[in-house]
Amino acid sequence: MNATPGAPARDYFALFQLQPELTLDEATLEQSYHALLAQFHPDLYAGQSQMEQRMAAQLCADINSAYQTLSHEVTRAEYLLSRAGVDLEAAERQGVGGEFLMKQIMLRERLEETPADDAAAREALHAEITTLYQSSRDGCAQSIAASDWSAAARCWQEMCFLSKLQEAARPEAR
Amino acid sequence: MVLLQIAEPGAGLDPDTKRKVAVGIDLGTTNSLIAHFDGASLQVLQDGSGSPSLSSVVYFGASDVRIGQAAMAQASAEPANTIASAKRMLGRARGEFEDDPYVTLAPGDTLAFATAAGAKTPVEVAAAILAALRERAEPQLDAPISGAVITVPAYFDDAQRQATRQAAELAGIKVLRLLNEPTAAAVAYGLDEQAEESSVLAVYDLGGGTFDVSLLRMRKGIFEVLATGGDSALGGDDFDRALADHLLAELALANPSSTQRRKTLQSARDAKEALTEQESVTLDVSDLAEALSEITIDRSVLESLIAPFIERTLHACRETLADAEVAAVDRVVLVGGSTRTPSVRQAVAECFGLEPLCSLDPDQVVAMGAARQADILVGNRAGDEALLLDVIPLSLGLETYGGLVERIIDRNSTIPVARAQEFTTARDGQTGLIVHVVQGERERVEDCRSLAQFELKGIPPMVAGAARIEVTFRVDADGILEVTALEQETGARSDVVVKPAFGLRESQITEMLKAGYEHAGEDMQARKLGEAQVEAEGLLAGLRAALAKDGDLLSDAELRDLEQNAAALEAVMDGNQPEAIRDATESLGRATETFAARRMDRSIQAALQGVAITDLESDQEQGDGR
Repeated sequence: MNATPGAPARDYFALFQLQPELTLDEATLEQSYHALLAQFHPDLYAGQSQMEQRMAAQLCADINSAYQTLSHEVTRAEYLLSRAGVDLEAAERQGVGGEFLMKQIMLRERLEETPADDAAAREALHAEITTLYQSSRDGCAQSIAASDWSAAARCWQEMCFLSKLQEAARPEAR
Repeated sequence: MVLLQIAEPGAGLDPDTKRKVAVGIDLGTTNSLIAHFDGASLQVLQDGSGSPSLSSVVYFGASDVRIGQAAMAQASAEPANTIASAKRMLGRARGEFEDDPYVTLAPGDTLAFATAAGAKTPVEVAAAILAALRERAEPQLDAPISGAVITVPAYFDDAQRQATRQAAELAGIKVLRLLNEPTAAAVAYGLDEQAEESSVLAVYDLGGGTFDVSLLRMRKGIFEVLATGGDSALGGDDFDRALADHLLAELALANPSSTQRRKTLQSARDAKEALTEQESVTLDVSDLAEALSEITIDRSVLESLIAPFIERTLHACRETLADAEVAAVDRVVLVGGSTRTPSVRQAVAECFGLEPLCSLDPDQVVAMGAARQADILVGNRAGDEALLLDVIPLSLGLETYGGLVERIIDRNSTIPVARAQEFTTARDGQTGLIVHVVQGERERVEDCRSLAQFELKGIPPMVAGAARIEVTFRVDADGILEVTALEQETGARSDVVVKPAFGLRESQITEMLKAGYEHAGEDMQARKLGEAQVEAEGLLAGLRAALAKDGDLLSDAELRDLEQNAAALEAVMDGNQPEAIRDATESLGRATETFAARRMDRSIQAALQGVAITDLESDQEQGDGR
């Protein structure tokens, strides 16, 4: 994730001067992001020496990547796990529990059976999925705070599944 | 590396600094423009006869080169020597144009036009247009141009952007930034850029050969492109061709000569323009066919011919709205000459549910926005300009097993951006790895655009899966990609700036530049020396300013080391050896790396300090995010 090959990566939380936690205030994160860009965007260095331009571009690339990663809960959780040294691929191989898997399959079936034009039914299903997602997210946040990485990894995978499902069930906006 | 002149947000231009002259250039498929912002007003620079636009047409005769209207005058007499719409061929492969009836290709593997002046690549055609614009501007502005912002369709891929940069280099123009056309238009319209309220702007940009749609959010001095979409091979030219094909069919010309084809195309273009105002138009076709002397075309005929193209643009609009995840758009702006067509306007209004804005000339708005941005980039900042955050239009990835694409950077990521991913070896004892870089949204490599292929060598023999190879993608603020592969154990590395597979080689450019300088009576060595001196002066001035402000960040030993390096540069600076100056500049640059990093950390803290203070108010306004 680092911008300079071979160099140690800049920690995304440290860059924004935030505690490495899943729960954070996204409005403040966005403000910090804009404040950093207002300082380091390459446009501010375009007239200066090539070396300065390059360095600003690298820092700005880090800032953009960090913001993109931290501004979404699922990728933020993934980043927290990977920076703690959790092997995400191994966690994926291990999978989620059978019970969650069944629940997920049933939700997907219900979604397929709900007609796209039945706004009320889709709304209800979407709300149900959102509640489940939030509970996995809260579980993930607590596990991370307690450094219980295997539980956190399981919750993170649930978040991945549920956020995709949530997206698919989103009532038509327009 | 160094980052010495940390910009102070809100700090204005030093009054002692002389204003530098920068321009904005809209290099269009059909017409090109050059504009200048002098700090107070924006002007599109006109030619001697008062025309703001230059036809993007170049005539390569046996003895001379003509550009614009003068080139167009040669179109019917020497069609093959008169190149139009070359922009749609920039950065593309020869294979894509082998069967195009409107172009005559030179023999060989590269995409080049056969002309009386020899084979000419699209890059050279574009360079001729850019040079003509520069020659138009310099006498009027009474100064050499320090730099230019050149606009490109947002949907241009990496190869097309590289080709545009090469064209500028050939034309002797320093590119401050490649700016996406819809973003430039938004800048020109961005009058209330400091507004507290956030608003979403859609830019619908249909030019001669390209279509772009971008959604931007503007708030408190930040212009953020949320998503962009489009088609880099769709535009008003397609309207002309559809109508020309219709005319050829009406005239029962099954096998038109290239002259007939050109004349028909010109008639179609005239008819399309006339139908913007009129309900029907009658064309004189007596010199095209014997059977008929005139043809009448109703607007409805044109509309049904172009409906499929308009539908394609609307499809892209809907996809972009979905990508941007915005519920509603506050304003829609029309850009590009093709938005004059009434049915285009109507379709856009229906798609967004809004009457589109077109208070600025749709042909000039892009150049105007570019000029404004150029003035900022060249250093004439007033301190209150909006910050532009642009995105890459297409995802970037690598080929993995089975011809599948592993995506590294998603489309609509804010640039500049860098991402690294780790790969490993598949076989025991594997010592090399082919890195194949592709661009596009499809899952299979063959459905994406191949950008580059290179090999990382020198991986120590290990069992399969043991090597750790980090591949880093870095996209700069121009949207241009650089890829690095690094084997973590041994440090074996291999990096490429992804060169356009279909563009010019570096050696070709150097040759052409040399020829150009000889032609202009300039000395390449003198120019190199000048450039090296400017770079060295900039670095030294920056270092002095940085030491004055943040010298406390250095130990005495570090300070002495820096001073020695600076003295070494000063010793060679006034000499006549550009290489020596460049080497000393680089070594001073390296010496300042630590200092620069510390200054950067200090200013990160300073930048975030402000946020912490405003925190409380914003929490109440905005709730907890989501």
